[in-house]
Amino acid sequence: MLTLENVTKRYGTLTALDGVSLRIEAGEFFGLLGPNGAGKSTLMSLVAGLRAPDAGRLTLNGQPLSAANSAARAALGLVPQHIALYPKLSAEQNLRIFGQLYGLGGALLRDRINEGLEAMQLADRRRDRVETFSGGMQRRLNIIASLLHRPKLLLCDEPTVGVDPQSRNAIFEFLEKLNREGLTVIYSTHYMEEATRLCSRIGIIDHGKIPALGTLDELLLKLPFEEEIRFPRTEATTALVAKLGACGAVEPGDEHYRFRPQPGYKLSSFYQLTESLGLPARHFTSQRPTLEALFLHLTGRNLRE
Amino acid sequence: MRTILVLVRKDFANFFANKAAVSLTFIVPFVLIWLFGAVFGVNRKDSGPTGIPLAVVNASTNPGAEKLIQALRAEKAFKVITQYKADDKTERPLREADLAALMRANEFRFAVVIPEDLFSEKQLGLHLKIYTNPRNEIETQLVNGILQKTIFSNVPQLLGQSLVARGRGVVGAENMARFNQATADNIARSFGGDSAQILKNIESGDFTGGLPAGGAGAGGDSLLSQVIRIESIQVAGQDVKSPAATRIVGGWAMQFLLFALSAAATGLFYERDQGIFHRIMAGPVSRAQIMWSKFTFGVCIGMLQLVTLFLAGRILYGIDVEHHIGFLLLICAFAAAACTAFGMLLAAVSPSPEAASGLATFSILLMSAIGGAWFPVTLMPEFIQQVSKFTLVYWAMEGFSQVLWANVTFLELLPTLGILSGMTALVMAIAVWRFNRGKIFG
Repeated sequence: MLTLENVTKRYGTLTALDGVSLRIEAGEFFGLLGPNGAGKSTLMSLVAGLRAPDAGRLTLNGQPLSAANSAARAALGLVPQHIALYPKLSAEQNLRIFGQLYGLGGALLRDRINEGLEAMQLADRRRDRVETFSGGMQRRLNIIASLLHRPKLLLCDEPTVGVDPQSRNAIFEFLEKLNREGLTVIYSTHYMEEATRLCSRIGIIDHGKIPALGTLDELLLKLPFEEEIRFPRTEATTALVAKLGACGAVEPGDEHYRFRPQPGYKLSSFYQLTESLGLPARHFTSQRPTLEALFLHLTGRNLRE
Repeated sequence: MRTILVLVRKDFANFFANKAAVSLTFIVPFVLIWLFGAVFGVNRKDSGPTGIPLAVVNASTNPGAEKLIQALRAEKAFKVITQYKADDKTERPLREADLAALMRANEFRFAVVIPEDLFSEKQLGLHLKIYTNPRNEIETQLVNGILQKTIFSNVPQLLGQSLVARGRGVVGAENMARFNQATADNIARSFGGDSAQILKNIESGDFTGGLPAGGAGAGGDSLLSQVIRIESIQVAGQDVKSPAATRIVGGWAMQFLLFALSAAATGLFYERDQGIFHRIMAGPVSRAQIMWSKFTFGVCIGMLQLVTLFLAGRILYGIDVEHHIGFLLLICAFAAAACTAFGMLLAAVSPSPEAASGLATFSILLMSAIGGAWFPVTLMPEFIQQVSKFTLVYWAMEGFSQVLWANVTFLELLPTLGILSGMTALVMAIAVWRFNRGKIFG
């Protein structure tokens, strides 16, 4: 559906996107995971036709994507990072304006506004000014405004910034439902929990490049360890740490250690060692590695840096 | 076109939902126009300054001096002070020696001294001294003007006395007496009248008294009062009901309009910062459509504001709007277009809303001052008068004046409309060029 071929975008001396190639199929829920300044918003703005690439090519269903190609852009919906609404106008007035800009009108627009407001649980506030809404409600309305024209591809640029858990869940469920119904979604975030929950495929982006791309399982396989074991920092576990050095990496935290065994290291060997040191098994928690760990492994820095 | 209309409707909905914007665009200018009108005495019959303290020292014994003081007292611009009040509350006539200290103490800023030698046998004319403390130049010019007017309107009577005194100085008192007697006898013989009365009048400087009806100076006026005869003929605006308000409401309206439209244009920054431009430009809306919608909205709101303010002028000061409504709407539309383009240029060249706001304040005040919105351009130095012709305020004011004052035809108005539209096109072209390179839509 969407193809990027060697796309580069520079702002002066800063290279925001550096030869990115990507192919997103129809019906995918594609996550773009990276910290602030990684190039997520630049990639979104290029796909939305707001900026032109310095090099490379973008196509949507075979048609080039550009500011001049309004027919191709009509198939897109953009949920901007900001709450791009008119605060002095009511929810309904806002939706009517954005719908009319896409050529909608009459009963069709009325129906779509009603559907959107119902789905996002905002129907009873339709005549209230947006400025009286909570941050979460504004975010939900921000999404509805991008869907009125029924786009084929929805670009969500960090759509849950500053949202309360209730609104976040409502947004997730709504997007998942739309995706099940066939909407392709590109979702940029720096929250690995969001990418883990929502996305069928994830691209890790950093410094304008995508160093890793795939499903969650495929990405985690790129880590040189399969498990991560957490245990508390106590006098007793200090002795254990000294012996673990040869079996993997131990990373000290404020209150816990994190042990990442070498490939091939057997967990049974680990528990034999703890038993020999008289450490009870309840001190140890084994967990699957996270995207956070993968990002750290790939880039040497944390997602929230 | 449909997209532009949707965007314009959106701007109107947004505008009318914002009570502060509505109030600043319509209600505040209305109130200010009323307030300024009251301050400047627009349409008041007794407009102009009143009660400016004026000290008068009379050192002359000539009865003409007292007449001059009476004339100054009759002038409403002045509150004549002739007495000095001591600390013990006793009073005495002011002396010339008192003036400097009292003026430095700001008791009054202007004084007239009628010296002992009001008339001199050595020199023709009157001798008066005027003391000023010109800490406000405009006030000083105004007071000097009114003083001179009052004095000169009394000069003809006083000048007769000066002539007699000077005659005595030149030919001597005895010869002058003989000359006057012979003159009085000749007048009585030639035109009739009582020779003794005519002589008395000549010696007192009154060259008309005592003559029979139909003689020189008949009608009772002094002969000298007719030395200069000025006829005033008004060639335009004879039918204008409220001349002062008609001239100045346009100036105020232009200034308010520029502020309102610059504020509206800086709203572009808000839409950019909120990501609204990104949202709509990601859809089928182009930046040209956004700019045209802003321009159309600006022209509409500007026209609405100008018409509202002229209606305020109609209600408050009786400006004749209804007889000129067609041309007034036309010039309002062209002025609003020029102001909108100016507001968009400000937004296009400024990096932030704060910078745009500062630039707007500076340029609007400058343009209003030199464009004639505050006071007539003709009062300014010649160089500034030339520069003012490059401001849209000047041409908008010119257009308002042509329509409301000079009652021009469409063909006569056409050059002004042409210049305003030329300015609009030029400013808008620069704004569009800057928008395409700036960060508003980036």
